[in-house]
Amino acid sequence: MVRGHLTAWLVCLATTMPTLLPQIALSAGGDLVLPTNGEDQVILHVGSVDGRAPADRLAIFVGPQSQCCAGRSPVSGRYRVDGETVIFEPLFPLLEGQIYSALVDGATLKEFTIGSDNLPPPPEVVAIYPSGPVLPENTLRFYIEFASPMQPHRAAAFISLERADGTKDRAAFMTFKQELWNADRTRLTLLMDPGRIKRGVATNLDLGPALEAGENYAIVVGAGWPSAAGQDMPTDFRMPFGVGDALRDRPDLGDWAVTPPRIGTRMPLIVRLDRLYDRVQLPHSIALRNANGQQLPGRVQVQDNGTVWQFVPQDPWADRDITLVVDAVLEDVAGNNFREVLDHAVGTRSRQLDHVTLNVTLID
Amino acid sequence: MRSLRTTVLAAVAATLPLGVTSIAQAAGSDLKFAGALEFSDDGTLFVGDNYSGAIFAYEMTGATAPAQVSPVNIGDIDVKIADALGIPSSALAINDMAVHPISAEIYISVTRIGNFESAPAIVRVSQSGNIDIVDLAGVTSHKQMLDHFPDQETTFRPRGLGQMPPLVRDEAKGNIKLSSLAIMDMEYHEGELFVSGVAFDNFLSTLRRMPYPFTQDQSAANVEMYHISHDQFETRAPIRAMSIQQIDGKPTLVAAYTCSPIVLIDLDEIVDGAKISARTIMDYGNGQPLDMLSYKLNGEDTLFVTSNSRSPHIIPVASLNGAQSYTKGDLPDGGKSDTMPIMPVGDTGKTVMFDGMSLQMANLGDNFFVSLTRDMYTGSLNMDSNFNGFPNRLHNLVAEFDFPQYWEGK
Repeated sequence: MVRGHLTAWLVCLATTMPTLLPQIALSAGGDLVLPTNGEDQVILHVGSVDGRAPADRLAIFVGPQSQCCAGRSPVSGRYRVDGETVIFEPLFPLLEGQIYSALVDGATLKEFTIGSDNLPPPPEVVAIYPSGPVLPENTLRFYIEFASPMQPHRAAAFISLERADGTKDRAAFMTFKQELWNADRTRLTLLMDPGRIKRGVATNLDLGPALEAGENYAIVVGAGWPSAAGQDMPTDFRMPFGVGDALRDRPDLGDWAVTPPRIGTRMPLIVRLDRLYDRVQLPHSIALRNANGQQLPGRVQVQDNGTVWQFVPQDPWADRDITLVVDAVLEDVAGNNFREVLDHAVGTRSRQLDHVTLNVTLID
Repeated sequence: MRSLRTTVLAAVAATLPLGVTSIAQAAGSDLKFAGALEFSDDGTLFVGDNYSGAIFAYEMTGATAPAQVSPVNIGDIDVKIADALGIPSSALAINDMAVHPISAEIYISVTRIGNFESAPAIVRVSQSGNIDIVDLAGVTSHKQMLDHFPDQETTFRPRGLGQMPPLVRDEAKGNIKLSSLAIMDMEYHEGELFVSGVAFDNFLSTLRRMPYPFTQDQSAANVEMYHISHDQFETRAPIRAMSIQQIDGKPTLVAAYTCSPIVLIDLDEIVDGAKISARTIMDYGNGQPLDMLSYKLNGEDTLFVTSNSRSPHIIPVASLNGAQSYTKGDLPDGGKSDTMPIMPVGDTGKTVMFDGMSLQMANLGDNFFVSLTRDMYTGSLNMDSNFNGFPNRLHNLVAEFDFPQYWEGK
């Protein structure tokens, strides 16, 4: 649109607005036409003209609605009033990708972004691991996976452990100066405070364990957590789960149930695990080797809330005898691995091994 | 009096084209970059534009003085300026600050970094703390193109610390144009504007003088000085901050350079085509001077020099009368740094406390310094006004006086 040709612009507006411009009906005030281009004006059809200054009817602020508008200054620009229409022309073109909030009649806020077609969708929680339905009382860590990179240093404000009665346990998770994110900040590792798991240490004696067998809980990731791109998570994410007995022993491959596939097919080899294992470690901690010790190529899937590991080979199964090789430091969700139990007595010697193995015989 | 900082952010801005103009610009003024600021005695605002190679003069005369100049304090001033410009504070570069001599309004020159372009803006902070963007189109303006303006292509040569290879930040210096130093500081004095910076094809340190109102007449003189701590004559590094004072009975330009010599230049020497040898009288230690304020301390004319890496330095003007000059051979050979017993050399001033780091500082009336101060603990940028008798901000410290018990029985 060409600036300064208001009449022509309004004619243009009248013909194109219904299809091209987002028009929002507001309960307070009139209809708001938000800009889609940084050069556009912001237009408010006020419905009725009164003595209020245009800036009191319509003001634009930098940032999302959640940060608006206490202590902030509105974007500078010029106002025009044309009949029952207030037109705001920003002093400088609005920025692409920047979130703005329009304040109408000092009461109604509407968030908008210029060039929003190019923005990723608003952030959401994709999954939380481990995911239940029943988790051990001494579960050590959770992973929260997001659909897009998130702003760090917000976990304490937005993540809580909720008891069945709705009360929140604010001391359940470790708070670090440095949060534990993956490289692209889409996965946050959340550690239960070890003092609320380990037996006999001060915080556990004072506060009791964070999770108690027989009880129900939920991890809640609250709405409003902004993504790295500045978009707030629109809704809460809840993962309800129950709590069962603690895991306080080393895992044993003898407790794993392997369903062998038939030679000559590409049917999956299915392993039903004895317990929940760390979901980040699990996919790459188990390998299959043939009789010559060569690793078999194929695709790993973790299913059934992390209780099943399955392997689809790239080529049809050829050897009758294969070996399942498991990294000895693969941890269960309580931090126990094949070498030692996390919560062991001081002086207990761990087992010196790199791998544990299980021989599997395929079906002829 | 005030100096222009070159920031990495400004360098980013410098690489952006100037495609989009604001409403204010579209209507007339062709200011492309708002850098160094200076006021004439009656309120004409001079703006150094390193992109246009020009100085713009905006007639903001006819202002009324407040009954009493009030201190102005605004937290997170960068966020509030960015708000008004419709950008996040990360897209704002603050270039200089000056105070209107009549109205005591505070003017800040900034660069607004957009998606694909940068734009200049002048921000005004009123005595009551209101922030607005000056509509330059509505102000009568004059433009003085600068002779011998340096090319706008050549960039700095990155260097590491000592023998260390350059870091990413050092390499970024390689994107900054030398012409960003073309207008460093401006000083208005008795109907003339004095401008420091680099000029000519070979980027020589230059002092310009021109009458105001502009007549298109202008003089440009090269300045050479002996740099005590570097133990060499320097012809390129420009004057960062300066002030005109009466010294030994003559109007004299007092100039501060990086790492941190103070030199004197008789105004009479600044004639077109001259090669000036400045008199180096002091080197008070490493660091980069930012602003040089002239004010009265206990009734005595005094200079207050801020730095990006030292506490402020106060220098009594009278102490510069009859000062000894230093040149090559007067002192032991070799570079000299802060830690060596010989440093500082000829320092007649002293370092004083200032809580936080002042990015910009200017006189606000007779009694205050207004500062854009970076808070050391929060990193926030705040506008604060400090009593110029001792602008220490020591209430921010924790001391005996903060204990309630101290006051019992007092």
